[in-house]
Amino acid sequence: MTEVALHAEGLGKRYGRSWALQDCSLALPAGRIAALVGPNGAGKSTLLHLAVGLLQPDAGRVRVFGRDPRHDRDALADLGFVAQDTPLYPDFTAAELITMGGRLNRRGVWDDAIARDRLTRLGIPSDKPVGKLSGGQRAQVALALALAKRPRLLLLDEPVAALDPLARHEFMQALMGAVGEYGTTVLLSSHLLADLERVCDHLVLLHTSHVQLTGPVEELLAGHRRLIGPRIADGAAVPGVASVIRASHTERQSTLLVRTEGPVDQDHWAVHEVTLEDLVLAHLGAPGAADRPEVAA
Amino acid sequence: MIWLTWRQHRKQALWTAVALAVLAAVLVPTGLSMRSSFEDSGLGACLRALGHSRFVGGEGCEALSQRFGNQYDSTAFLAILFVLLPIVLGLFLGAPLVAKEVENGTHRLVWTQGISRRRWILTKFGLVGAVALVLSVGYALGAAWWLRPLDANGLGRFRYLIFDVQGVAPIGYTLFAVALGILAGTLTRRVLPAMGLSLIAFIAVRALVELLARPSFLAPETLSYRIDGQGMANRFTGDWVYQEGVRNGAGTLVLPDARVGCGGDTGAETARCVERFVQDGFGPAPFSNWQEYQPADRFWTFQAIESGIFLALTALLLALAIRRVRRIS
Repeated sequence: MTEVALHAEGLGKRYGRSWALQDCSLALPAGRIAALVGPNGAGKSTLLHLAVGLLQPDAGRVRVFGRDPRHDRDALADLGFVAQDTPLYPDFTAAELITMGGRLNRRGVWDDAIARDRLTRLGIPSDKPVGKLSGGQRAQVALALALAKRPRLLLLDEPVAALDPLARHEFMQALMGAVGEYGTTVLLSSHLLADLERVCDHLVLLHTSHVQLTGPVEELLAGHRRLIGPRIADGAAVPGVASVIRASHTERQSTLLVRTEGPVDQDHWAVHEVTLEDLVLAHLGAPGAADRPEVAA
Repeated sequence: MIWLTWRQHRKQALWTAVALAVLAAVLVPTGLSMRSSFEDSGLGACLRALGHSRFVGGEGCEALSQRFGNQYDSTAFLAILFVLLPIVLGLFLGAPLVAKEVENGTHRLVWTQGISRRRWILTKFGLVGAVALVLSVGYALGAAWWLRPLDANGLGRFRYLIFDVQGVAPIGYTLFAVALGILAGTLTRRVLPAMGLSLIAFIAVRALVELLARPSFLAPETLSYRIDGQGMANRFTGDWVYQEGVRNGAGTLVLPDARVGCGGDTGAETARCVERFVQDGFGPAPFSNWQEYQPADRFWTFQAIESGIFLALTALLLALAIRRVRRIS
């Protein structure tokens, strides 16, 4: 059994009377690169902040490699976090930020050389205030700082949202290179699925503060099909289909995105494989789907 | 953490040093010229001869004192600059401490490193507070040096605002202002509102303590002496006089805010003076000067109480700020 990097159980966070995240349960196995997807306001940042101990849960619990990130100081050493908009002290140089990391982390944890080498390789000047760098370079500095902690779990909150396509591409490339090198587990949030589709092998889909869907991408894709066939009534049972995620009908034809539980009658239905994007869009659009989260892990 | 605190606040430290240098450049020359005129005019020697005796007869040092007062009393407003120093530190060192981090999102960077937030804020307050402490001790000593001739000339160390810039009270105010700024920053999470909030709260608390609480730290004493005696109360003792006036033989306050000396050269003159009070309808003789006051030698007791209040408030605000910081994400 693989180790669980991030484990949440009934996790919830409330602001006033409304829940930013509710009844969130998921298990992210170590070594995965997970996409945290959902529309704005779905609770992505809240989940990440709970996972890195910035927030105290109002319900349930969250564990990072079995440790409470809020109360166990050792948990912080396992975590790397790149917050939204990659905040850095603008008047610090990259070299000073690396010094800062060394001062704020335990000796056995932090490795100056990792950050320095990355920045040298990327040609980012380490003696210039980071406020004067481009957005893409700043994001790279933030990533280098997070990696120098040698985290076992790296969480990134929309790190590329503000970047242009080229910088976005370079950032993802740098991230994937580093993850390959160190074997870090990653949870990366974005509302741009295209950034994640090529690199992620695990999915956490949040919708209106609930976990809508979570599991390894391969399993999820294998468990879902698009069926096209003659018109059927809404709610009619289809053999081999566990649940209909989304249905659209024309006068004579029905198109269903379904979760399968066995062989589907291929004479009656044209069966197509689905892409991650199909899956996510279907789940986000599914009315009332928030009431029945599916866990395929 | 110490390195980070220095790196983040060194600019503020530099500005504070510059501001203090400017202040010193104004105050040292004026202080020196005030002292030389205090001594050269003979006022210093006269007041020393007078000592702290409760009563004085004759002219005393009035003429010299008047002359010195005319020349220098107005410069006492410079002390107001010192009254503002604690809140200036509160606004520029305290308020941004947390608020600026949250405003820029950098709290998410620094609080997800290897140290706890509690340690982060305690180290920061410890270092910023230590600087504030040194500054406040320094300026309190400087202000006391600068004010000494004016104090001796009857201004007294108990006077509002004069009391506030010397002794140990400035330490309490300064640490309080810094802690207040930090707490305001954790509440507003933005620098400018935090500065506004701490300014208002600082003025409110200072005014409440100064105007309402301080006069009742200790019960005042009273002094009563016949207007037809040979001496008058020494006004150079530096007592804090709450009320004074003339009471008649029945004990009624007939002339508030006044003191009268009828002691003449001859007994007849004195009797005539007293007789006029009776004729003016002030009631039966004998008349007495009366005052309610805090003796000057209670200065350090009052200083200790005042700074104690503000240090206790500092601890309270800091505890609240730590609680608040744990709730910011």
